[in-house]
Amino acid sequence: MVLQLDPTPIADGVNNVWILVVCFLIFFMQPGFALLESGQIRAKNVGNVLMKNMTDWTVGVLVFFLLGSAVSAIAGMLTTPGMALDVGAAFAYINDPTAYIGWFFGAVFAMTAATIVSGAVAGRMKFTAYVFVATAMTALIYPVMPGFAWGGSGLLSGAGYLGQALGVGYLDFAGATIVHMCGGMAGLVGAKMVGPRKGRFNQRGNSQPIPGHSMLLAVLGTLFLAFGWYGFNVGTQATVLAAGDGGLTFNGGALGQVVLNTTLGMGAGAVAAMIVSSVWQDKPDPLWTANGLLAGLVAVTGAVPHVTWWGGLILGGIAGALVLPTYRWVVDSLKIDDVCGVFAVHGSAGAIGTILIPFFGVTADGGYTFLGVNQLAMQVVGVAVVGTWTVLATIAAFKAADVLFGLRVAEEQEEIGLDKSEHGVSVYPEFTGGNREGPTVSVDGGTTGGPSDD
Amino acid sequence: MTESDIEMVVAIVRPEKLGAVKQALAETGASSLTVTTVSGRGSETMKKGQWRGEQYSIDLIEKVKIECVVQEVPTDDVTEAVAEAAYTGNAGDGRIFVLPVEDAVRIRTGDRGPDAV
Repeated sequence: MVLQLDPTPIADGVNNVWILVVCFLIFFMQPGFALLESGQIRAKNVGNVLMKNMTDWTVGVLVFFLLGSAVSAIAGMLTTPGMALDVGAAFAYINDPTAYIGWFFGAVFAMTAATIVSGAVAGRMKFTAYVFVATAMTALIYPVMPGFAWGGSGLLSGAGYLGQALGVGYLDFAGATIVHMCGGMAGLVGAKMVGPRKGRFNQRGNSQPIPGHSMLLAVLGTLFLAFGWYGFNVGTQATVLAAGDGGLTFNGGALGQVVLNTTLGMGAGAVAAMIVSSVWQDKPDPLWTANGLLAGLVAVTGAVPHVTWWGGLILGGIAGALVLPTYRWVVDSLKIDDVCGVFAVHGSAGAIGTILIPFFGVTADGGYTFLGVNQLAMQVVGVAVVGTWTVLATIAAFKAADVLFGLRVAEEQEEIGLDKSEHGVSVYPEFTGGNREGPTVSVDGGTTGGPSDD
Repeated sequence: MTESDIEMVVAIVRPEKLGAVKQALAETGASSLTVTTVSGRGSETMKKGQWRGEQYSIDLIEKVKIECVVQEVPTDDVTEAVAEAAYTGNAGDGRIFVLPVEDAVRIRTGDRGPDAV
């Protein structure tokens, strides 16, 4: 007996389950960011950065559902010749259950971009102002990027105005620039506009280190992120089974290319950063190695299906090697207090990795090919568009936040720490000392109320 | 006042010497001790820490404080054992202080004075 089955539902089922699983993996990058950022800041500000990370996700999913996803569609419609603006169609997903998995897939990427910013502005930014910026990030700043480049329409796609002019579409597979550079540039602009933490530069403007409180958390967060990154990159190869006339085809080669390049980029980035830090500081530094690992991942995120295995290795290595000098340039030359180095890790690494894609092109059978001058021009133009939009939109969002709420906490609030001044908590109560509040033991052995009872 | 003949040896030593000091105290017969992690400043030069390759000074240096109450074993033996075990010859080896102890109580039995030690 020959079993006759329509292959389409099988392919759809497998592919959608795969997408859901990778979305859960990408969601797991959120604890990664929370730990990575917490570890790189002082103990008195940890609760604040955790609040920011939770807000990015929780406020972000609401905003991206009600608005952001539609903004993305509208950005695509407006920049594609022959496409009419149809606001109803842009918002159609809201009441269409068959669109929810696709929306969720977009949402986990949006929240990744949003959460990068908190690492750059840690330790001095007012919480209300941050919530406003996170809302702008998920409603407008980020959504325009995938609208321009992904989903077959938009300015940078093959069908868009720029894509048609150059005859090719922009290559950024999983969002090295659309997600990571957007987050990294927004972070850099934000850190510049909020200003450096008190004491970060001395009177002569020279950098004074402010050590983070836990290398353990920073490195654990990095490895959580790397784990989630497999969802980010490999999951973007969303079609596992393709249904056709001859039944089902398994896209094993495409998946394999993506998982291998992701892994090699990560490895090369970490090793390169380890070597550079050894030369620069005499000893291999765990934080630089962790930063290099992530920079390697960022660099190949746009490139994974498009480049040869050695291309993935080289791109990751370049990004990892550049993390330390780029961070030093941001601090020593630009005088910007980018606390967690988000520009070096997410911004410049994404730009470099994406621009260089054409030099490492891979053919269907794994051979090498240069992807052409037009493709190279498109990559440069694409990075310029993403960078320009992000910088201008972020400046506008921070300006608005400054007018509405003020960007910075008061100097004395920064001094005692944002945990106490912004949230009234101590993440590590035993470290705070001094003006401790709350119940204390009285002489008769009972507890007595804190200052609020007086 | 100090007729109890009990003394307390307080030693502040390098954290990495704790194991050797414990061993030495056990061999002397004064195996009971209390250990606390402390930070302090003595004659040792400031240490340098680094964050992202930039150096900063650490003016309080991590040490271990060992408190050992002695009664039967001669105090000199105890201080000698600690000093020998904690010695490196470099600045920052630490200090030993000997204090008189007025009285002692063993909580479980209620014994007082030398019997409690």
